[in-house]
Formats: sequence, C-alpha cells, structure tokens
Amino acid sequence: MRGKWLLAIALAFLALVVLFAVFGPNFRHGYLDATGQPFLAPNGDFWLGTDEQGRDIMSRLGFGARMSLLVGVTVQLISLVVGTVVGVLGVFAPVWIRVPLLRLTDGMFAFPDILLAILIIGVFGMGLFPVIVALSITAWPSVARLVKTQVASLKDREFFVASQALGAPTPYLVFKHVLPHLWGILLAVSMVDVAGTILAESSLSFLGIGIQAPDPSWGNMINQARLYMNSNPMVLLWPCLILSMTVFALNFVGDELRSLADPRSR
Amino acid sequence: MSAAPGLRFFKSIALRLLYGVVSLLFIAFVTFLAGELAPGDAALARVGEKATHEAYLAARHELGLDLPWPQRFVKYVADASHGDLGQSWFGTREPVGQIIGRAFPVTARVALLAIALATLVGVFLGSVAAVNENRAMDKAALSISTLGVTVPNFVLGPLLVLFFAEWNTWLPINYEPEMSRPLWIYLVIPVVIMSARPMATLARLTRASMIDTLRMEFVKLAVAKGVPPWRLYTTHALRNAVLPVVTAMGTSFGFLLTGSFIVERFYSMPGIGFYTIDAIQKRDTPLILGTVLVTGAMFVVVNLIVDIVQPLIDPRIRESQV
Repeated sequence: MRGKWLLAIALAFLALVVLFAVFGPNFRHGYLDATGQPFLAPNGDFWLGTDEQGRDIMSRLGFGARMSLLVGVTVQLISLVVGTVVGVLGVFAPVWIRVPLLRLTDGMFAFPDILLAILIIGVFGMGLFPVIVALSITAWPSVARLVKTQVASLKDREFFVASQALGAPTPYLVFKHVLPHLWGILLAVSMVDVAGTILAESSLSFLGIGIQAPDPSWGNMINQARLYMNSNPMVLLWPCLILSMTVFALNFVGDELRSLADPRSR
Repeated sequence: MSAAPGLRFFKSIALRLLYGVVSLLFIAFVTFLAGELAPGDAALARVGEKATHEAYLAARHELGLDLPWPQRFVKYVADASHGDLGQSWFGTREPVGQIIGRAFPVTARVALLAIALATLVGVFLGSVAAVNENRAMDKAALSISTLGVTVPNFVLGPLLVLFFAEWNTWLPINYEPEMSRPLWIYLVIPVVIMSARPMATLARLTRASMIDTLRMEFVKLAVAKGVPPWRLYTTHALRNAVLPVVTAMGTSFGFLLTGSFIVERFYSMPGIGFYTIDAIQKRDTPLILGTVLVTGAMFVVVNLIVDIVQPLIDPRIRESQV
C-alpha cells in the first residue's frame, strides 16, 4: 500500500513538472527578462529569487523543464519508432535485411553513448537540434535489442503459432499478436530512458555544448551558478534540486510500471 | 575432458580478439565518416585562406584528399595505427597525437584511482549490506548507493567543491598541481566524483550476487564445519560473488568517461575530456575525431580484457564456452 502512495506522489510531481514546462517560462516574469536586480533572495515577486543578471530563476527553471521534456520525449519517441521497427525486422525480415540490421545494432554498443553524442555534436554543431539528433542516435539500439528479444519469445507462443498455421500474413501477425504485448514493457522502459536522456542533455548543456545561453536549461544553469556559488549557493541549489527530483521520479515510476507490466519481476 | 577444453578456451579468445579488431575498425569507420561529413576543409586549414589555387590543390594531394574514399579510409587507419591523427586547426597546429599524449596520463591517473576506490568501497558496502540483509545496515548501504545512481555527477561535483573548497578550505577549488600543495590533494575531488556512479553500481551488484552466494549449499556446509563468520564472508562468499563485479568494470567505463568529461570541465583539469569539449567549442575537427577515436579504442580494449579475464577467474565460464 505504501508503494502506491509513493507512486501517486511521484506521478503528481511529474504532472507538476509538465505544467511547469508549459506555463512556467512566462509565469509572472519572462525567462530572458533582466530586471537589473541581481541575486535577489526569494520574495513575493520573485518566488525563487533572481540570478546574476537579475532574471527570474523560477521562469528560467520552467524553460529548463520545457527543454528537458522536449528533448526527453522527442528522443524517446524517435528511438521507440526506430527501435521497434529494427527489433521487429530483426526477427521477421529476410536474412539479407535482418543480419546487417542486427550487426549494426550490436556495433552501436561498441561506442559509449556519451562519446557518440559528443562526436555527432562535434560534427554538426551545438544547440537543441544537434542534441536531439545525437541522443536519438545513441538511444535506439537498446530499444531495438529489448524489442527483438521480446518478439523472439512471443513468436513461439501458442496463439502466435496457431494464427500463423491458419495462414495469417506476417504484417497481420505483427500488429495483432506481437505489438499489443509490447506496450506495457515499452512504457515502463521509456520512463527510465527519458530520465537517462534528460540527464544526458543536462550533462551536455553543463559542458557547454548542449542548449546554448541565453536560453536556460537545467544543465547550463548549474554550470553558470557554479561561478557565484560561494556567495549565492541558493542559485546553484534550485536547478540541482528540480533535476534530481525529476530524474528520481521518472526512475521510480518506471520501476513501478515495470513490476505492474511484468509481475514476475517483483 | 583433457585437451579439448583448453583448445576451446584459446579458440574463444581468438574469437574475442577478432571481434575486438572488428569493433576497432567500426569505431575508426564512424570517426572517418564523421570527418567526411564535418564542415571545414583540412587542405584549406593547412594553406590558409589567401593561398593560390595551385597551392590548395597541392595540399589536397599531399593530404590524400584527392583519393577515392576507400583508399582514404585505409590511409586513415594506417596513419592512426602509428599515432598520426593529423594536426589541430588552431593555435600552433600541434599534432593531435601529441596533445592526446599529454592529456591522456591526466585522465588515466584519475580514472584508475577512481575505479580502485569504487571497487574497494562498492564491494565493501555491498558485502556489508548482503551480510545484514534487510536490516538497518543494509538499508543504509542501499540508500548511499541509490544516491550515487540518481544524483548526477555534475550536481555532486559543484556541491562537493562548495562544501570542501569554498566554505571550508580543506581542498583546492581547481586543479593546479604546480602550486605549493601536494599532488594528491588536487586529485581528491576528481577521484571521488568519478567513482560515485561506478561505486553505487558495484555496491548493488555485489549485494545481489553475495546474497545469492550466501544461500548456496557450500556456504551452509562451511557454517556447519564451524568456519568463523569473517572467514566465511571473505574467502568463501566474496570470492564467488566477485565475478559479476569484474563484468561490471567493463560497463563502468562509460560512466567513468562521462565523469571525466564533467570533472575535467569544472575542475579545469587538462585531460582528454577537457580538450575534447574545447575542440568542439572551437570546431577543431581533427582534434575532436582524434580524441573520440582514442577513447573509443580504449573502451574496446578494456572490454576485451574483461572478456578474457572472466574465464580465467571462473572455471564455469571456461567450461561452458563454445
């Protein structure tokens, strides 16, 4: 019972982050508006205070939430589509398609993710769009591998074999008897993967090669606040706090969903 | 069962070496491809904007840019294999191999210390948790490792510097080993930050595999024989629980790498990560490709070593290999 309460709290927190991403960036103050009052303590007007250029920290965190969710969800959708297609083809396609696809998927694991992302950003430049491209390219192989093993085991189940014996064409089998079984586990894994993507985006932005100033993201806010942390530690603390809590909530919800989708894993 | 298993073992090592070579070529091909797609022109960078067309063509020929791409790839691999990774496009046009030769020891020293610390602390925490399964000690050790997994190192890093270097001046705020304080004091913060994530992973793994081991028959027998607890945990259980930990060392490489980029950035350490990020911001393509190639190759080699060491530690793997 206690687990259900924690799950509800985590879900509510994530819903708040989504609302914050939608309305936060221009709530009360614009996220780029310099007010000329740097390092204000939290007060009735600036609920979380202002940064070194007098910009409202809360609005900037809101824009950071928007960037994190935008990158996290877009990358996850792309890698779900690519990964599912590759995973299904990896089981059902003719050999000359299947084998190269699976070798490519394996080959992608020869590269640590961060290194491949850095290579792609190094070649195509910095900013939001290259970050999405880079993280999508690094994210799909693990989805493909998961889908492939799941599909391979579904293929031997009675309902599948029966339908196949009745002469059902492969595309029908895939859409009717394979994909519907995958949504649960894919949703659960997606939560954890989105958390990983948000961390990766924040790392790249912290390093100065992700989201570029003046646009804020949680990562580059942490990097900026570092310079003033001795005199104004709160400015550093806010983005650290919201980032850690979001990542924790996503991981927690993902784990809970996974045990709902697959009771044996409890 | 006499000669055959040994033969099989060597065959499997040969297969792994082959797989390692293929992985290296794949990484080389990806960086080569990235170089082909990257904006900028190595020949133009060499002769400068004001050069004549003839000088430019001569430079293209000298760099082999007029060859078809398969030949260029062969030349790229041949050059890279004896350390020629081209020249930086900026500053004194220093050879990339030389920059990496200078930066690599800085990164490697911290990485090795970090993996050592992570193994020591991680295995210790994991064992303590397993021995006290579901008791307070277990919960405490698990909480520490959960914290290590969820708190990103670019959050942990600034917080450590804030507390230990700014508010208290126990540790330096930057990496400046030529200053008066002893070298190790500049390594404390980088090593601790880089070890946090692998430490947490290793603690969880050790706990899980040690709990499994403690339930096995031979442990019950040892208890019945009257083996004292500390001896039971160290020589009997831990020895059998250590295998997944060796496997995890290979996968920890990715975490170490991310950690080194972050640490070198905010602690101003002139290692591989520092130069890579600097190169990306300056758009210095040869330096980006060079550092990525060398780091990728390191990753392959580490995993290869793990693959080869595993069966040496565990006879079960040795026997089961095809």
